[in-house]
Formats: sequence, C-alpha cells, structure tokens
Amino acid sequence: MSQNRREQLRKAEQAAARQQRLTRIIGVGAGLLVVVIVAVFAVVLISQANKAATAAPTAGQATPPHALADNLGIRPYPNATPQAGAPVVELFFDYQCPICKQFETIYGASLEKLASSGQIDLRYRPMIFLDVNLQNDASLRAGVAAACADTAGKYREYHDQIFANQPEQEGAGYADSLLRDTLSTKAGLSGDALTSFQKCYDGKLTQTWVQAQEDAGEKAGVTGTPTFKVNGKDVALKEFSNVSADQLGELIKKFS
Amino acid sequence: MRERAAAGSWQRWVTLVARLILGVTLIVAGALKVTAIDAAINSVRAYKLLPFEVTALVGTALPIIEIVIGLMLVTGTFTRVAAVLGSGLMLAFIIGIISVWVRGISIDCGCFAPGGAIDASQTQYPLEVARDLGLLILGAWTIWRPTAPFALDAWLFADAEPITTDADQENPR
Repeated sequence: MSQNRREQLRKAEQAAARQQRLTRIIGVGAGLLVVVIVAVFAVVLISQANKAATAAPTAGQATPPHALADNLGIRPYPNATPQAGAPVVELFFDYQCPICKQFETIYGASLEKLASSGQIDLRYRPMIFLDVNLQNDASLRAGVAAACADTAGKYREYHDQIFANQPEQEGAGYADSLLRDTLSTKAGLSGDALTSFQKCYDGKLTQTWVQAQEDAGEKAGVTGTPTFKVNGKDVALKEFSNVSADQLGELIKKFS
Repeated sequence: MRERAAAGSWQRWVTLVARLILGVTLIVAGALKVTAIDAAINSVRAYKLLPFEVTALVGTALPIIEIVIGLMLVTGTFTRVAAVLGSGLMLAFIIGIISVWVRGISIDCGCFAPGGAIDASQTQYPLEVARDLGLLILGAWTIWRPTAPFALDAWLFADAEPITTDADQENPR
C-alpha cells in the first residue's frame, strides 16, 4: 500500500512537472511572438510618423512647367524639338550622388549638344533616395529648388549649379541659404523671377512633384544613380568606361 | 545523459562561442538598420531580386527578425530553432550577394548599414560572402550541437522526469 501510494505521488509529481515544462515552453514561445508583433507595429508606426513629418505642404503645390506627364521627369532643354524617331534618353540622378556629378561633368556638354540638336529626347529624372541613406533632406530640397527654377525657365542652369557646388564629402548636404540665395543668383535668376523662385522654395511648392519623381523612379526599377536609360532600357555604367564625351552619341545609337 | 555531456563538454563551449558570435552579429546588424527602415528597404531594392511591393515588407521585417533571432541565440532560447533560422538568413544573404555579384550589379551589401549602389571598384563581394559563410558555419554547428552553458533552454526544457539517482529513489521528498 505504501509502495503504491508512493508510486501514485511520484506519477502526479511527474505529470505536474511535465505540465509546468509545457507551460514554460508555450509561454516563452508565445512571449517571443508577441515581442515580434509589437516590434513590427512599433517600427511601422515610427517610420510612418517620420514620413508624415516630411510630407509636402498641401497648399499651393505646383508642377514645373517643363515636367513630363505621369511623373516621367522633366525636359532640361525644353526649347529643343526632338527629331522624329529620336531615342528617349533618361538620366536618373540624385543631387547628393558623387558619381552623378562625375557623370554630369564628363557627359553634360555632350548631352546638351545631342538634346539641343534634337538627336535625342533627353529627360532628367531626379531621385531623392540618398536622403534616406544619408539621413538628411538635402536631395529633396535641391530637387525642390531645381524644379522651382524651372518656373523661371532656368532648370538646366540651376541643375548645373547644384552639381558644381556639391559638397566634397557625401552627406554634408546643401544649406538652405546656398540653394535659396547663392545658387539661384548664379543660375541667372534676378528681380521678380528670383523673388518667385524664393517664394516657391520657401513654400516647398514643388515637393509633391519631386517626391512623385522618386516614387516613379523606384517603380521603374531604379535603385542606384546615375542610371542611364535609352528607350526605357538600362545602359549599365560599365558601358561608359571607354566612352569619351564625343562618343556618347554613338553609344546611345548602339542601344537605341 | 551524463556521459554524453561529459564526452561533449568541449563541444558545449564551442557552441556557446558560436551562439554568441552569430547572435551578437545579428543583433548589431538588426539594430543598425531598424532605426532607418526606409534605408533598409532601399538596401533590399538594390539587390533587384524581389518584386517592388515585397521589398518594403522584407526591408521592414528583416532588421526585427535579425534582432529577435540574435536575442534568442545570445540567451540560448530555443537555441536549435534560432540556429536554424539564423543559418537560413545567412544562406539567403549569401545567395543574394552572389546573385548581385554574378549579375554585375555594384552595391554595398547593406548588411550593417544602409546599402545601395556604389562604384564597382568599392564592392567587397568576396569578403561579404566569406563573412556570411563563416557565420553560416557557426549556425550549422549550433544546429548540430545546440546544448551549451548559460542557456535559457536548460531551464525551459528541464526534464519532467526527475533525474533518478540512487539517492533520489531513497529519498522521494
């Protein structure tokens, strides 16, 4: 009897221990799941709050006059008329990207020649994803400023000024005073044009358009800049390695 | 049970080291990315592997998953499960890096910081693959021998059967 009772006790103890073990395992497992779910919600909420902080002002948003429909960028040489059958050449760039500046320095003049003579249909497609990587908003503000300059017909001039004044160190960004006052004057804005440019810049009136260009670029599969497309097809940067500025036209022809 | 522990005693310490290295690496990698989710999403996009809509999900979830798996490994909670998940991550990273390498895309892996396109001369694919391969080996070891000192698993999976020694049998509380 005593043996039997002891056996029963032992069994009950074992069952209780097993139960406890199961409870522990399920409890810790469930706890981990809860932690993951809470963390995902927290991260999504925080990143959305950050996005709200950089949302464009709702009043007075404007599209630059030489912008293309469907957020396909802007025409840097709006006075040129592309010849029939001229290839569509798209340059995706970010104002904080050093290689974009290099690209502009080497090929900018050739692109101008080709576009002005109508041999190519040149489109500039500004992107701002480096803001995210560099944790600032300089690409956005530079993009807003360039788009504002388009209202006065000085997009191209202003665009050149931004790259010419790109900080040595990637990530240093562009000061408001540089974009608002210095570069605008250098790009040839004065008088009423300068005043309305500054009003546009202060009110960030082209921000919605600039952000839409970024989204459109991302959806077009552009994940790095500069990205060069001819008739919608990528021309990898390595294709440019032995191509001088004078040979750019031939390269474009090869890919069109 | 006792014998196995004795025979594998040095292995338990190898597991501890493996677990801690893989775990801490994952926590650091996750923590550096979780504060900049948009950048993490861009890093995922730079691989040009996943459909656009999926990249946002992966970019958001990846840092969190890394931190949680890292914490599980460091604390030794569900060690084997965590090691399987951690090794799976490493395998996925290796495949990802090799795939951009083969396709001639020049990116920073974005492993520990926001990644993205970089100059072809700055890519470090062999180094990145070697590092992840090393971590994968640590993970594989931990799957094979998950038992290690200082693990929450010891408490979590403590045997329901009382360890029966002679003394215990004589003295059943």
